[in-house]
Amino acid sequence: MSRKGVGLAAFDRSRLTSASYATHGSALRTTNAQALETQLSVFRSLLQQFAQQHGKEIRSNPSFRAQFARMCTAIGVDFLAASASHEGSGGKGGDSSIWGQLLGRTVNDFYFELAVKVVEVCSETRGENGGLIEVRKVRELLQLRQEKQMGAGQKEGGGLTEDDVLRAVGTLKPLGSAYSIVKVGSKPYIRSVPKELNTDQSAVLEAVQVLGYVSVSMLMVNWKWARARAKTAVEDLVGEGMLWVDKQADGGEWDYWSPGFMLEDGLVS
Amino acid sequence: MPTPPTPPFPFPKEYSFPPFFTPQINLATRHAQLTKWSSLILSYCRHHAIYRLSLSDTTTSPSSPAYPLFNNDSINRRLSLSYIKEIIDFMRRDGRAEWVSGSGSGEQQQGDLVWVYWRTPEEWAGLVEKWVEETGNKGQVMTVYELVEGEGSRGSEFWGLDQELMVKAVQVLVKKGKAQTMGGEENLGVKFF
Repeated sequence: MSRKGVGLAAFDRSRLTSASYATHGSALRTTNAQALETQLSVFRSLLQQFAQQHGKEIRSNPSFRAQFARMCTAIGVDFLAASASHEGSGGKGGDSSIWGQLLGRTVNDFYFELAVKVVEVCSETRGENGGLIEVRKVRELLQLRQEKQMGAGQKEGGGLTEDDVLRAVGTLKPLGSAYSIVKVGSKPYIRSVPKELNTDQSAVLEAVQVLGYVSVSMLMVNWKWARARAKTAVEDLVGEGMLWVDKQADGGEWDYWSPGFMLEDGLVS
Repeated sequence: MPTPPTPPFPFPKEYSFPPFFTPQINLATRHAQLTKWSSLILSYCRHHAIYRLSLSDTTTSPSSPAYPLFNNDSINRRLSLSYIKEIIDFMRRDGRAEWVSGSGSGEQQQGDLVWVYWRTPEEWAGLVEKWVEETGNKGQVMTVYELVEGEGSRGSEFWGLDQELMVKAVQVLVKKGKAQTMGGEENLGVKFF
């Protein structure tokens, strides 16, 4: 009686059970998918609404913009990457551009326009800094330019943050350009020439941040380097155009200055 | 002269940057430096209405109006004469400077006096031409002295211009067929068409 069915009917039964499991499973899947789809479309329209309503504020208010960017990152929306790959895929309008469409092109356009300005600043100053410029300096220069354009009036409080500049440089990545962020010491720099700094060169640039300049003997004392090593590191950087020589320093030793200090307010007499 | 004292020149930031006064070794850096010096010299001379510089004067005599240009005493840095000459040559290639001919005869080009063209003779000529048209002085004869010092042109941009430079500007107009010169060297007359 209690024997498991070993006859042919047993095959039928197992086929029936697996079939009903399958139908049930697919039913569950469809409801799940439908629920997800509705959620997504609700979310989509909400985000779109939000971006449209606050588009102006996203452009003009830096802290609002930063918050919005942070929110997007938190929910896994990389609007910059999404719209950049949209450009790359020849405007197919597939999934890749979805965020670009959703956000009404406000946010990413802002960063693309900023990226163009960053590139301008970098190429204009490349002669004097060898293609390495502090992010803070770029922000300062862009801000100055913006104020000049607006005729010195504070119409629209369109400030810029360093975070904006960093994000803008990030948008350049898909273009395979040479623009990248490097850290020297604790400060972020934009490097616009494809050139790697070795550890000694980074150490020199870090030391330069303190006083604005450095000399071979200062390096020998502070980093415990041999003279030849200090000289090589410094001369390499001069060769790259990243340091300026001052031969009129007190004591007769040459000083090597960071061109970034040319833009420093503190030095203006 | 009853001119009000000129306000101090707002020096750019690089003027307080010590290496700015040392000729840079790296060629790209050097080029950036020359460009900055060129625009500094031009805007300084424009600010103080300086038309020509005596290099020996500006480097050695602190009373010279252009002395602060190449000497920043607050950071104790100064430009060497040879580097100044290099900058002038750089500006010359841009048409923004010219050695004053005839000065220090014998040495052909490496004179001491140099024209600083924050406006080139052509640009001055353009201003004069415009002024002549606007004031109805076509067909009139004026002396160069009248042009730069006279009451008639007071308030125009070229009023107080170096007379020799005005002669250069007038010669440009002559070449364009817009003027004709007459009279002697001392009191050159110009007729405008």
